[in-house]
Amino acid sequence: MPRTTTLETPGCPPLRAITFDVLGLIKVTEARSKQGGVAKVVERWGDPDASRCVLAASINDRKIDPLLAVARKSGVIELLSPVNGDLRLSLPTVHQTDVPSQDDNIAGLHLFKKQSSESSSRSCTLLTCTTKGLTTIRSVIIPKSPGESTCDDTPATWNVCNAGNVLCCKVDENENYCLFGGKGIEVNIWDLATHTKIWTAKSPPKNSLGIFTPTWFTSATFLSKDDHRKFVAGTNNHQVRLYDMSAQRRPVMSFDFRETPIKAVTEDADGNTIYIGNGSGDLASVDIRTGKLLGCFLGKCSGSIRSIARHPDHPVIASCGLDSYLRIWDIKSRQLLSAVFLKQHLTNVVFDSHFDDEEVADSLASLPPSEQKVDDEPVEGDEESPPVVKQKKKRSKSRSLDEDEEVTLSSKHKKTKKSQKLDGEKDGSHSTKGKKAKKSRNIDGDAEELSLGPEKSKVKSKDRKSKKSKKPKGETIDELVDGITEILNRKKDSKEMDTDFTRNEIINLRSKADRLRGVNLSGLDLSNLV
Amino acid sequence: MGNKRKAREVHSDDDEPAKTRTKTTVDGGKPQLLPSMIKNKEKRSALYAKLKHEKKTEKRKNAKAREALESRALELGEELPPKKIPRTIENTREADETVCKPDDEELFAGNDADEFSSVLNSERVPKVLMTTCRFNSTRGPALIKDLLTVIPNAVYYKRGTYDLKKIVDYANNKEFTSVIVVHTSRREPDALLVIGLPNGPTAHFKLSNLVLHKDLKNHGNPTGHKPELVLNNFTTRLGHRVGRLIQSLFPQDPEFRGRRVVTFHNQRDFIFFRHHRYIFESREDKKTNGKEKEEEVTEDGKRILRGKIIARLQECGPRFTLKLTSLQHGTFDTKGGEYEWVHKPEMDTSRRRFFL
Repeated sequence: MPRTTTLETPGCPPLRAITFDVLGLIKVTEARSKQGGVAKVVERWGDPDASRCVLAASINDRKIDPLLAVARKSGVIELLSPVNGDLRLSLPTVHQTDVPSQDDNIAGLHLFKKQSSESSSRSCTLLTCTTKGLTTIRSVIIPKSPGESTCDDTPATWNVCNAGNVLCCKVDENENYCLFGGKGIEVNIWDLATHTKIWTAKSPPKNSLGIFTPTWFTSATFLSKDDHRKFVAGTNNHQVRLYDMSAQRRPVMSFDFRETPIKAVTEDADGNTIYIGNGSGDLASVDIRTGKLLGCFLGKCSGSIRSIARHPDHPVIASCGLDSYLRIWDIKSRQLLSAVFLKQHLTNVVFDSHFDDEEVADSLASLPPSEQKVDDEPVEGDEESPPVVKQKKKRSKSRSLDEDEEVTLSSKHKKTKKSQKLDGEKDGSHSTKGKKAKKSRNIDGDAEELSLGPEKSKVKSKDRKSKKSKKPKGETIDELVDGITEILNRKKDSKEMDTDFTRNEIINLRSKADRLRGVNLSGLDLSNLV
Repeated sequence: MGNKRKAREVHSDDDEPAKTRTKTTVDGGKPQLLPSMIKNKEKRSALYAKLKHEKKTEKRKNAKAREALESRALELGEELPPKKIPRTIENTREADETVCKPDDEELFAGNDADEFSSVLNSERVPKVLMTTCRFNSTRGPALIKDLLTVIPNAVYYKRGTYDLKKIVDYANNKEFTSVIVVHTSRREPDALLVIGLPNGPTAHFKLSNLVLHKDLKNHGNPTGHKPELVLNNFTTRLGHRVGRLIQSLFPQDPEFRGRRVVTFHNQRDFIFFRHHRYIFESREDKKTNGKEKEEEVTEDGKRILRGKIIARLQECGPRFTLKLTSLQHGTFDTKGGEYEWVHKPEMDTSRRRFFL
């Protein structure tokens, strides 16, 4: 037989990536360690429609009740559940009063991760920015059904620029500042609390030939998590620039990368490595302290890279772009781990970091297949308003049930069993077929579960996840958690949150959940401690 | 077989058993000797000739046996034994997951949404602007002259000293649907740029093996009818897109009366361009001696051909080969362009990998 080269893809760690394309489709790709880490498309949400082309996307990647915001070309912003793709809320065009011009598309979208203190947990805050520079922050309450959209307060709107096109818009990790840049717009930083511009970059001087390159920023990112003063911007004339607000207005450092415009820049968690992708499909990692190229990600990638995402836990990045492939790369070896053909030009990729397949796989292995619990709700987004309503109603109920369980079920064995089954349920929600399985569950379950069954099947990701995290824990962690809880209790009176969960509970859940990922307190919302 | 070797074998039987074994591989008890094991050139070449002869005779024997089988099957009226399909580079090409499937609804949805759909759905009439590079010489304009006859509704504009971006703007304002630029280097056309308008992709082709209309022997002269278009083997998503780009250059309502056909045939990522006139004729058999009238005229004046009908081709127009080097998103922009596909040297690691 003729020799053919096969693409060696060693397989990636378990992960779940969500990609968005020009036909408005949202595709979920999952890799499971059980199947050798081969990434596969597991779900597709939405129908192909060019007017629903996804322009920007942002995910609130929290453990409980994650949210996904998607900006469409038609001007609609949709809030979805990244777990099963349910449409939670559809916001119309930002400014109906203004002239809705065709070319004033949304350039940037950010879904705030931190909760504003006075709002409930079901509300969320969104920052949108159009290419003309119209920026809006609005907080909305996710309604009981997707039909009614309620803005709880008037959106704060301001104009970032007078001329030019905004192409990149990025909010820093603490979500206090936002940077804007674009064609004809120098990078500027705005304070989101006061809506004032606090800093503007200065264009670099003419070069030795007296040639001035026009300003055209195509991508930007903040460098480290706790410092909003340093950021990296990529320009259309293939230059990557490092800015330091505290040092000077001109770039601290700049270097050229290849010969096509830089289209995507993403920072690494370590704060000094960045990943840059350009218009001809070259992807490289650079140490930004020295400006030295660490290495290129070599693969047969030939289409412009539109988006790069860094996985929060695994040493893995994902890139996607005009060649319609989602590629997953290892950071250390810069080797291609997996490539998935997704048929359309892709615009964005995000990771759902709380996808844990080992637990799912293990529990599945221990359970006979008939016992897999499956969410009864269909997966499609638009028509499923009634189930969402149900879910909202049941949420409080199920929570109380949950508390009851804690009292009554002292034996840890039962809890683990439950969590396993819930894991199965969660897994089932990823697959579309599963109504049969759910039925069989009601039959198979023991008496106690039968009584809980109908309510629980309606419980959605939030509750599922919360319960799952209530696993037996090591004592040291418990002590630690107790300590944190105590501190929080002291401060509790000053900042009471009107949430479905009390803060105590959330902290408990989160820290316990973190135990699952090793002793790691990074997920704790420590901002409340201060 | 040399005595020397035998002697050495006997001599060194006990101290060098491994060495002798390498020389005579025991294959079912029969020692097999490879020519490369013999050091004496005369003997080596003799053995090689012998082996080659054996191989040849065996091949001939096989062919004869096959032929005999076939002729017997013909005599008995049985089905012929299946013909073996030779392995070619194309039919052993690397598996490609981007090959278009006919039941892919996303593909059709993407087709409806892409830049060519308005032209291909006959909502816009294709109108092509042709120009050259800045410095051109005889063969470039000659190719353009030929292409003007091939592509209906095409207009040649002198390049002058205009920037290509300005020409694209101009063409956009004049509602052209495509721009074709013939690039010449060393007085020989070597690249073709096809730009879809208003925001369609830009394809950059390498052009080679150009034979102009006047240099073709026995060339035909095409009529002014709208030609038929044949696009062969554009299988992958990229190929599909390139095919649609080419398709959008031509009118979607060919005039079959004109009996002219333009072919873009893709084979191993090379796109062969040919332009033919064709005619259907009934073959002149020796039995008929051409006496019988081969054409009958029916009542409504149509001529109907009898007998075995063949199509005769006459080549006209230019003949050239294209190879895609890049497909760029949006109109021509070398500096700030975003590529959908670029040919990179690291892609050329296999002969059996094709992209179109």
